Formats: sequence, structure tokens, C-alpha cells
Amino acid sequence: MNALLKVDNFSLDIPTFDGVLKVLDRIDLKVEAGDTLGIVGESGCGKTVLVRSMMGIGPAAAKRTSGEITFEGKPIEELTEDEWRAIRGQTISMIFQDPMTYLNPLLTIRRQLGDVIDAHRRAGRDSSALPTNARAAELLTQVQIPDVKRVLASYPHQLSGGMRQRVLIAMALAGPPRLLIADEPTTALDVTIQAQILELLHDLVERLNLTVVMISHDVGAIAAVSRRIAVMYAGTVVEQGDARSVLANPGHPYTAGLLASLPEIEGPRKPLDPIPGFIPNLIDPPSGCRFHPRCPRATEVCARVVPPRVVLGGDQIVACHHPLHGEAPAARGAEETDA
Amino acid sequence: MSALLEARNLTKVFQTGDTSFKAVDDVSLSIEPGKVLGIVGESGSGKSTVARLIMRLLEPTSGAIHVEGADLLALRGEALRKMRRHMQIVFQNPHSALNPRDTIGAALAEPYRVQTDLGGAEIERKIIELLEIVSLPAIFRYRYPHELSGGQKQRICIARAIALEPRLLVLDEPTSALDVSVQAQIIAFLQDLQKRLNLTYLFISHNLAVIRYLSDDVLVMKSGQVVESGTTDAIFRNPTQEYTRRLIASAPRTHFS
Repeated sequence: MNALLKVDNFSLDIPTFDGVLKVLDRIDLKVEAGDTLGIVGESGCGKTVLVRSMMGIGPAAAKRTSGEITFEGKPIEELTEDEWRAIRGQTISMIFQDPMTYLNPLLTIRRQLGDVIDAHRRAGRDSSALPTNARAAELLTQVQIPDVKRVLASYPHQLSGGMRQRVLIAMALAGPPRLLIADEPTTALDVTIQAQILELLHDLVERLNLTVVMISHDVGAIAAVSRRIAVMYAGTVVEQGDARSVLANPGHPYTAGLLASLPEIEGPRKPLDPIPGFIPNLIDPPSGCRFHPRCPRATEVCARVVPPRVVLGGDQIVACHHPLHGEAPAARGAEETDA
Repeated sequence: MSALLEARNLTKVFQTGDTSFKAVDDVSLSIEPGKVLGIVGESGSGKSTVARLIMRLLEPTSGAIHVEGADLLALRGEALRKMRRHMQIVFQNPHSALNPRDTIGAALAEPYRVQTDLGGAEIERKIIELLEIVSLPAIFRYRYPHELSGGQKQRICIARAIALEPRLLVLDEPTSALDVSVQAQIIAFLQDLQKRLNLTYLFISHNLAVIRYLSDDVLVMKSGQVVESGTTDAIFRNPTQEYTRRLIASAPRTHFS
């Protein structure tokens, strides 16, 4: 089957006054139609730069140094600004962390949602025959807003954070999109509201057969929505695969360390086992495996050689010389690092 | 055993023009020495206002606060200033809690300058000790806040708060601005520190798992009121209130087998 979105050996540099940040290093990811991929990682791991690059809104100064991102087989770097206009909001749409920033405080929801619907219609999309207002109401119903009339007549400040995020999701669905990118969609919300939004996203995925790429620093939020997971560390994807398998049985020491860093809400109160050390500076990232200076399993080879990708069974792939389970990789296929 | 901190019927009403808002509504709590009391609640529950009332950064509309039996609300001027060395607070955002123009050394020297009559050399020695307690190299005293990461800055804020060996440490969402691996380092560190120095914590967070990890007792707040309180085990195993149950059910699960 052809991937809807493919990230192939993609590396990105961002020049800064202090030097060149090597923000993404040989990223391989694939999203098939109907797939839900959650990308989890801590601040500075490159997850936001990666998804923004997918949408063609990466940092202007960023320079691709290897590989490519293709959407339906077409390299996105070859897209013209006109072609991007046709893709953004329609083929690919995006929701963000802070819904208030993305709503105009001076216009009602009716007006803002109506504008989006009309724009899609002018471009000859949106096959719905409903009048704009009715279509807006339909979209709000789809995101399970109970009092549609009141919300349509409201200004953003009159809505709660959870309601605003529902409105933004409704806007993102107006196309409807082939791919929805969700950038920390619940991070700014309270736990009970967060649980509702995650349930809504999960429900939309099932009902509309949406393809979703969601990024979050919150493993729990990712697990609630995504079937597949990719774990990023310092600009690299260290592990990916079926979300439940990866979280139940992590193969990469960083994934295991991340999970051991999370206190549990149930079960025995076990002592935490934090990962020692700090996130590296990406101007001069560690050689070989970027995690090796903090890794309890690191050996001499880890500092020297970029780890090969090892299949641990199913679709669980880990980039590690000494994975926590599965066969240790043969030295062949491993390349010398240029760092 | 007598409580280190006891607050009774605390109420705080904020008045703006004709409208008033009851941020804290009849909250009572007590903490015994060497124990950790966690306050958990969503935004707007009043948990941070409780912290500020107890620190006397805000004056309560009504209610009483006693620290080691002394009436905190009756203290004024010099007596209150002297009391402050025994009660310290760490805030959520370490980036705004440190003066960008002061070195870390200057930030850590301040409590000694304000509250003690130690000389320069002695303060210097204390600063090096503090940095060691929070597991940072002594050389950090010459650095400026912008040269430190969020987790390192929060360690400095904690170091500053424990400089005078306070009896009570109020921690208001101290890890919420930090990444999970950094959060783990800080809460493991806070727990270790608490045991080592036999500190008493009032720990405030919206994160149930973190509250469960650190607290001996838990207070659940909503809309300014106490919904439920009890030992950590009781609250998490047998919550009696519907709201507590919903809160616990909403917390995303991260451990699968």
C-alpha cells in the first residue's frame, strides 16, 4: 500500500548565531491512510519542527541536508505556494496547543467557522449542499458541542478552553482533510477537559476514518488516541511501532527511561527512576547514538557508530545497538558517524 | 503530635468594582512536621490562592493560620519578617522567579543577606553547600539564569528556598513547566531532600500522579472548596466523592502490560 505521507531519511539544519543546530537527523516515518501516529518527545526533540516541515511551515531558515518528505508520492519541497494553498486546510489541516491564539477575538464563531466553510466552497471543495450556517452547526455537532446555537453566537472569550479546542477541531474538519495534524492539542487544558478532547479525537478517528499525526510530550495523551507511536530524542526517532506494544515493552533505553520517569496513578507506588543528565545541545550533538551519554546500556560502539534500525517483531523498530529485547544487531549495516 | 501548620476556615474574596469572587471558600487544613500534604485541583480551584494565603502573600478575608501554634495573621512588621525565614515558597515558573541580572550566587546569597548577619566568606561557603545539595556544580554560582536550563533553574529556586532551613516549604506546581524526564529528576530530588532534612511540604499540583507520588495526605479542591481530604491511599483507592473519581479517571494512563 502506498503511504499517504512518507518521511524518508530526512535531516534538517537550522543556522543560529551560535552555530548550526542539527535539529532532525535521518528521520524515517510513514503514515498510511486511516493511520493514527503519535509522536512523543520532550522539548527540543524536534517533533514540532518535523510536523511543521510536513505542512510546509517549518522555520524559514531551516535547510534540508538529506532525504525528503513526500505526500502521496510527491516531494513536498517541489510544491509551489499555490499548490500549498490548495493542500493546507483541505488535504492537510492542523490544530494547535493554544486554541485562543488561533481564533480571532473580535469575530463570532459563526463568522469564523463560516469563513472557513466559504473558503473551501470557493475552492470547489466541500460537497455538502447545506447553507453555510447549517453546515457550521453540523460541524459543531460533529465535535459534540451540545448548545450549538449559543456557541455560534459567541465570541472566543465567552467559551471555555475545551470548547475553543472543539471549535478549532470543527474548523479543521471542514475540508474534510485527508490528514489532520494535532500539535499538543490537549496540553493547555485541565485533566477532565483533556480526557474529553482525547475521547473526541479518538471517536472522530473511528467514525470519520481520519488519518492523524499527533504530537505531544504526554505519553498518556498519545496512547489515548494513536494506534502507532514514534518516540523522538534529540532530533532522532529512537523507536516506533504499535503504541501498546512499544509502551508495554519498550525496546529503546530512552523509551524505557521516559516511562520510568512517569509516576503512576494506580498500582503500587514505585520509586521513580529518572534518566540522569541533560538533553544535549544540538549544535554539537553526541557522536554515534545521540542518547549514549545518558544511556545505562551504552558501550564503546554507541559513541562511535550511528545505531542501525532493528526490527523487534511486528512493526516495532528501534534505533539502538543494545535494545532491551530482540536480537542484538549485527555490525554490518551500521555506518560510521561523520561527527 | 501537634501540627506544624494549621489553617482554619480560610476564605478569600477578591473584589473588583461591584463584583466579588470567592477564590477560596472555607478551607481548613493541617500538616504535621515532616509530612507532605498535597493539594490537587484543576485551574481555578483556588489551590494557588491557598498557598499565597498561607505564605501571607495575600491576606485572607477571614479564617485563621497558625504555625507551630503561633497566630500567623497577628504578626506584623519585624515579627512577620522574622517568621518568613521559616516558611518558603517555590513557584511554578523558574524562568520568572530569578532576576536575570543577578548571578546564581547573588540569588542564593539573598536569603542570608536579608535574614542573617553572616559575612561574605561564610555566605560563599553556604552557597557552595546549597549547590551541592541540589546536585549542581559549585561553578554555577558565577552563571546567570539564562545560561541554565529550566530544570537547573528550578533546582536553584529550591536551593534558595531551603537556604535558611525553613520549617515549611510550599511548592506551587514546581514541575509543571518542566519536561517529564526533568520533572522526574526534580520530584525524586524533592522526595530525597524531604527525607534527608525532615522537611514539611505543602505540595500543590494539578498532576494527580505527581501528587500521589509525593504526598502523605491529599486535599482535593474544586471551585475554592475542599471536595475531599484524607490519606493518599484512601483518596486514590476509595475516593468518596464523584468529582475525585472523575479526576482520577481522567488522568491519562501511561503504563501498559
